[in-house]
Amino acid sequence: MRGRWLAYLVLVIFTFVMIVPVYIMVKVSLSAPQDVMTQHPPYWIENFTWEHWSRMFESGNLWEPLRKSLTVATLTTLLGVVAAAPASYVISRMGRKWKYTFVLGLLFTRMFPDVGIALPIAVNFIKWNLVDTDLGLILAHLIPNLPFLAWILVGTFETIPRDLEQAAYIDGASRLEALRKVVFPLAAPGIAVGALFVWLNSWNEFTYALYLTVSERTLPLQTYYFINRGDWFQSASYSVLITIPVVIITFFLQRYLKAGYLSGAVKG
Amino acid sequence: MDKKWKRALSVTMGAALTLSLVAGCAGGKKEEGQPQQGGQGGQKVLRVAMGLGEDEWKVMRSDVIPKFEQANNVKVEAVQVEAKDVVEKLAAQQKANKVEIDLITQDVNELYALVDRGIVEDLSANKNIIPDTAIKGMIEAGTFENKLMFLPYRPNVEIAFYNEKKFQDAGLTPPKTWDDLLNVARTFKDKEKVGRVAIKANLEIDNTLHIFDFVRAAGGDPYVLNDEGSVKAFTFMQQLYPHLSPDSKRANWNFMNQFLATESVYLGQNWPFGVNKIVKEGGKKEIKAYSGWRGPVKESHTLGGEVIGIPKGSPNKDLALKFAEYLMSKDVQETLVSKLGWPSVRTDAYGKVEDWQKPYFEAVNSALQYASPRGNVPYWPTVNQAILDAFKDIVVGGKPVKETLDIYAKKIADVKK
Repeated sequence: MRGRWLAYLVLVIFTFVMIVPVYIMVKVSLSAPQDVMTQHPPYWIENFTWEHWSRMFESGNLWEPLRKSLTVATLTTLLGVVAAAPASYVISRMGRKWKYTFVLGLLFTRMFPDVGIALPIAVNFIKWNLVDTDLGLILAHLIPNLPFLAWILVGTFETIPRDLEQAAYIDGASRLEALRKVVFPLAAPGIAVGALFVWLNSWNEFTYALYLTVSERTLPLQTYYFINRGDWFQSASYSVLITIPVVIITFFLQRYLKAGYLSGAVKG
Repeated sequence: MDKKWKRALSVTMGAALTLSLVAGCAGGKKEEGQPQQGGQGGQKVLRVAMGLGEDEWKVMRSDVIPKFEQANNVKVEAVQVEAKDVVEKLAAQQKANKVEIDLITQDVNELYALVDRGIVEDLSANKNIIPDTAIKGMIEAGTFENKLMFLPYRPNVEIAFYNEKKFQDAGLTPPKTWDDLLNVARTFKDKEKVGRVAIKANLEIDNTLHIFDFVRAAGGDPYVLNDEGSVKAFTFMQQLYPHLSPDSKRANWNFMNQFLATESVYLGQNWPFGVNKIVKEGGKKEIKAYSGWRGPVKESHTLGGEVIGIPKGSPNKDLALKFAEYLMSKDVQETLVSKLGWPSVRTDAYGKVEDWQKPYFEAVNSALQYASPRGNVPYWPTVNQAILDAFKDIVVGGKPVKETLDIYAKKIADVKK
């Protein structure tokens, strides 16, 4: 009993610590300056205003960065899943020695910090006319995300018993049908988790965007601009805006983040 | 499960793509940092990179750029690039042998890397386009080893911001001398149990510039670092430090505004752009400004601001030089004074600032009388590190002043050889 209360207490503290910064961000974006620029700011919004949001919507600097961020994050996720899912399935079905060689290979590519390889990548992308293009940024975002996604999905496919595939073959399914009707549906939670991470990584990505952008900015770059200019209210408004799609996407995909999905699939 | 999964995925993707479509189709006039449409009918396109705020972009796009476009039948594409990002962006373009930026305006305190890495053109042959009335210090700021690498564009200087109401409540007046400064810092600390005066002590370039001001105000040379003036300055900073606000450790050009605005600091020096953020947008009219305090020898300010550079490999160098000349013209400088409250780089350009801006503008002009450039030396990183290490050891760590300065002065002397 005491253990349960302790767990609840830890959960409440953890939730509070996570939510407070987001609340402050929302509060600043909706507060008049006198609520923020004071020695003792109030806990709640006392002087509500839409002014900072209006400025953001009327500036002419919102829609293009929002479109670019959404397009790049969504297409990076789709392409990533399309490329990584079949490859991960193949790796998961290899012999132990080969499998771990590939998995270590995938992990090895994640050892290099983005900031270290961004410049040489940018140089090549400039040569290929990929600067300031959605395609350039999607390809750049796939560099760190593809190995990461593959690594997650190898683990996912490993948990799906081969017996289920065998059963499908016995029922007359081809290999592709078995994949489509048995393996991938069972791997959906893992794919959802992977897709969620890739989308969030791409949505929040900053380093490649900075190198591969001259004028067509993404939303994180736009937020960075206002932070750099010392504009607290615009920074807060843009930060809240960046957070909204994250909440929506997480809400839709969190239902697949379930443990014990395969329990009972195979009788012992 | 299969259906549920498909439905959820479809809804998610549908929502994302619809949002993309809505965002993509939504109108919105292009303003700050967004390129304009390229030249039509064989019109040349000049690409310019600047680091400006939203209000500054409005003036640039409506009052400055169009006149140049009309007069020269060109299209100017102006893009937003922050000062600290310029180097890497241009380095990447030059390595790819595909430079797309013709002209940059850059912070005078961020020039070293551009010159050291050979990113900008030597403009010594184009010295004749600088107006005779240009502030000499700004020409000096753009000169490296007797080569003119940058053209003067916009001078700037730090001024002292103070909270008038808090000073009145404490029965204090803004400090005019070091003694006053120490007294104000002590009084606030005693009264409120926490320091309310801040200097930029963040052990970064902001900190270096403040140290320059203290050393020069005592008649010292920061490039020597163990002369009498430097010793006096570090001794004073060591006395002052315990009475300063704890925010000093985090204070930079951005946070100093925040500390002043949220009243955790009542006195601090910063660049004048803070006026727009704190007074105009924040409505804190009690934040006033003046040029600052003098040391035992003089009042001293490090000259800041922006200069114009032409990247090596610029596809339109001649046009870029023409635009640079235009930016230095009396007409443009007067526009920048009137519309933005920027001090002019020319002594013969006057503008009329808005009434509310006048006291702050006067503070800037007053501080400019005592401003001198930081100086450009090829061993700048060593000097910068030595000064900051000395500050850390002496002011923060309490080590003996003269002996410690001797150690760091030797490091600078060694690299000069």
